[in-house]
Formats: sequence, C-alpha cells, structure tokens
Amino acid sequence: MVYPARRRQQPVRAVNGMSFAVCRGEIFGLLGPNGAGKTTILKILTTLLTPTSGRAEVLGHDVVAEPLAVRRAISIVLQETAVELFLSVRDNLVTYGRFHGLDHAEAQRRAGQTIEKFFLSEYAGQKAQDLSGGLRRRVQVAKMFIVPTPVMFLDEFSTGMDPILKRTVMGYLREEAASGRTIVLTTQVMSEAEELCDDILIMHRGRSIAQGDLNKLKLLARDVYDVTLTFETIPPGLGGELEALKPQRLQIDHGTVEMTLKAQEREVLETIAGLAARARLLHVEVSGASLEDIFVELTKET
Amino acid sequence: MHGLEAILYREAKIRFTNFAWLFWDAFYPLGNLLVFGVGINHALGSPLHDPNISYNDFFLGGVLAMATFGIAANTAWGFFLDRDNGIFLEMLTYPLSRAQYLGGKVSFNILLAIVQAAITVGMSALLLGVKVKPALLPLLLGGVILGTAGWFFFFAIFALRIRRNDIFNTVTSMFYFFFLFASSMFYPLDPLPRWFRSAALCNPVTWEVDLLRYGSIGLGTEHLVTEALALVGFTLVAFYLGVRTLNRASS
Repeated sequence: MVYPARRRQQPVRAVNGMSFAVCRGEIFGLLGPNGAGKTTILKILTTLLTPTSGRAEVLGHDVVAEPLAVRRAISIVLQETAVELFLSVRDNLVTYGRFHGLDHAEAQRRAGQTIEKFFLSEYAGQKAQDLSGGLRRRVQVAKMFIVPTPVMFLDEFSTGMDPILKRTVMGYLREEAASGRTIVLTTQVMSEAEELCDDILIMHRGRSIAQGDLNKLKLLARDVYDVTLTFETIPPGLGGELEALKPQRLQIDHGTVEMTLKAQEREVLETIAGLAARARLLHVEVSGASLEDIFVELTKET
Repeated sequence: MHGLEAILYREAKIRFTNFAWLFWDAFYPLGNLLVFGVGINHALGSPLHDPNISYNDFFLGGVLAMATFGIAANTAWGFFLDRDNGIFLEMLTYPLSRAQYLGGKVSFNILLAIVQAAITVGMSALLLGVKVKPALLPLLLGGVILGTAGWFFFFAIFALRIRRNDIFNTVTSMFYFFFLFASSMFYPLDPLPRWFRSAALCNPVTWEVDLLRYGSIGLGTEHLVTEALALVGFTLVAFYLGVRTLNRASS
C-alpha cells in the first residue's frame, strides 16, 4: 500500500508484502510502533482505503470488489473518538443500529441493554458533546455490541478508558470471541494484547516481523529476563555495577531494582546470587520475557 | 435501501433534537425577508421603480436562494465537524454505498429547503402581500431542488478537502461574501457597472435567484432559459466533483 506523494514529499510505502489470515472466533492482535502500518491495514480491511496492489478479503469478500458485503460484516472502533456529537447517548446507539438494518423498536431495545451493560444509564439522555473524552470513548465502543456483526475491528480501543472499564470491556470481548465473532485489534498496550490475543502479528515499517501466539513469540526472545530485586538497603555503587551489565531496562526506586537482562539463564542467576551476597535481599522475582520485551527486542533489531 | 433511510433518520434526529437549529432551519429565510426586506422596502422602495413590484416581491426569490445556499453551507460545516471528530470516517464503514451516503444527505437538505420555501412563500404572501404566482410554483419547486443540490455538492467538495478549521471558515466566509453580494440577490443588475454585471452573470447564485424570482412572482430576465440550463450544468459538475472528492476522502 503506497500513499501518493504530497507536496514536497515522497510517496510513502505504508504496508509492504504483508500476508496473514485470521481464524473465525479468534482475537487477533496487530502490534507495532507508531507508523508501522497497523491503521493502514485496518483501513484497507474496512474499505476505507483501496490498496495500490495486492488483495484482501473479509469473510471471503474482496474489499475492493465487494465493499458493501464487507461493510455488512464488520463494525469498527477507530482511533479517533467517533461519536455523533449532537445526539444523545441513546440516540447514538439507536442510530448505529439503524445503519446496520435494525428496525426502530429493535434498535431501541438493544440500545437499552447496551446502555446498562456499559454503565451509561445516567448519561443516556445527555448529548455526546457534553460528555468527557472517556465517556465518549465508552459510547463508541458500546456501539460495537448493538449489532452482532461477525467481525470487529478495534484500533487502540482502550485509549481514554479507566482500568476498571477496560477490564470489563476486555471480558466482553472475550465473550464475543467465544460466541464466534472474530476480533482484529491494534494496540500499543502490550499487556492488553498479552491478555486478549490468541494470535499476534508484530509489524515494523510496513512489514511483518513476527507472528504467532504468545508462547511462540516468547521463543523469539528466549534469553530475555525480567528481574525484580528488593533490598533492605541498596548497596553503595550498585547502580554503576548494574549499568555495566548493559540491561535493556533498568529502574532503581528506593530499595527496589527492576531490570530486563539479555543473558543466559545461568548468568542471570549468578548475577542475582552475587548481589544477594552483598546486601540483604527481601524479595526476588525472575520471569521470562514479557510481550513488551519481545516487542522492543524485535522492533529494535530490524 | 436501509442505508438511505438511516442517513435520513440520522439527519432528522440531529435537527429535531436541537430546537435552535430547527427554528433556524424553518424560519431563517422568512426572518430575512421580514427584517431586511421590510426595512429596504420602506427605506428605498421598489428596486425596479415599478409600483406593482415591491422590494419584498423582488427579494423573495433572493431570500429563497440564500436559504438553499445557507443550508448547504451549514451541511458543509456538519461534514467538517463529522470529519474532525472521526464519525465521518466511521460512517464510511457502515453498510451503505457512497452514493446512498451522499443521496441521503442531499435528500434531507432538499426536504428541508422545500419546507423552508413553503413557509417563506406562504407567510410572505400572507404577511407582506407578496404577489406569488401559483401557476409558477412547480418551477419554483424545481429551482429550489436544483439550487439546494448544486450548492450542497459544491460545498461538500471543500468541506471534504480542507483539513483546517480556520481555512474552512475563511473559505466559507469568502463564498458568502462573493456569491451572495455579486449576484442579483439583493438588487437588479441593470444599473450596476459593466464589470460587476459581468461577474454577477457568471455567478450560479444569479442563475438560481433569477429562476426562483420568475418561479415566485413571474419576473423574468432575457437570459432565463440559459441561466436555468447553466444551473443544471453547475449542479451536475458539482455532483461529479463532490462524489469524486468523497471517494478520495477516506485516506
């Protein structure tokens, strides 16, 4: 996918040589740093952009040849907080239902259910323009639950959500996937992808650099460890010594050291044993690489 | 079909749940006629120095054209806001074709313009004694429909292309300034300087006003048929460019 040249700029090749398939009922995560091409892929799959070459299908419908059939099968949460500013929360939901072919009574009924499900009852009559950014986001995501389209696309859906709502929505998404809806999401929040996604594709500069479930991706960063050490008192000069280990991440806060080490398991344990001999350790935690570590590792190397 | 219905439902819901807009939409042209028209009529009298044609008679066609122009400008502003907050992009992923999207929007604008025109024409005859010619009302209706559609597509081109709020507002203000004043909306063109008259004759507002003026009070110009055809051409070109711009607007 190439964006045409704009004034004084070269054409931008946003996505190049990507190929992937998503199974029905799966939660599929597209991860990548800013500008990796995630949103471009979502725009192609939701018929907002026509690819300059290649082919994409949603439920067997070609996005260029059968855009209407694709649109009937999808619902989307965009990165922007897209709501009808001049309509009430209830009318936002009813209108969305009407666009997806529900009659007025059915749209009203489902809007009522969704309002309760998303804890929006006290705002139901308020116009969206009077709501905070977080509430507008909630309305935007709630719309996806009005109509059971077989495929859902979510572009950084949790932006602006409080942690409790985010957790609730993630639960809803898992339920939807369990009922057979296919969910394709992009996110910058690695823990979110780690918790939700059955399959993850990591992109960088418009290309796919890794794909698989979490366990498969963890094999790509086998020698990366997250280490947390809590000392009674931090030994003098420890910061410098730890820097010498060239950790990928190092944070010393009061008595606690958090770091990510790229080393063999034996070396990591020896390092910890050496530190334990110098000062009293209250707590030790060693875990394999998180998705964030893998992400940093992969996007740094390419 | 539900796509078109849904667009109409959405537009109606936005209008009917905002009382100020509803009032503005329904009575804006009549208000102009009552305030501006009556003022000029009393202060300056007939623009044609004809005791049978008051300024109110003369201005009715102008005010109806101004209303169609205003509806289109307001819808363009709505386009701009929709795009600014993302709902425009989201709507392009709804199960409706681009033609249904534009068709629904323009249909609603036309319905609104017809209601406005009916109120304005009826009330101007009732309150101001404007001598409306009932036999020509079908022509008036055609002019209102054509003018509304033309200006809707014309403004859509700019609303869908311009990304910055300040530039959009400047462009809209310039359009108001040029199109409305350099036309036959407020005054007859004959006494004007030649360069001004030439500019006004190239202005689609003039074509529309002349058509609506003939359709309301039967006052025509020697160029009326040409102007009507030019207005049809303007609408078709604006439609073509509007659809093309919409198809490119998703990127």
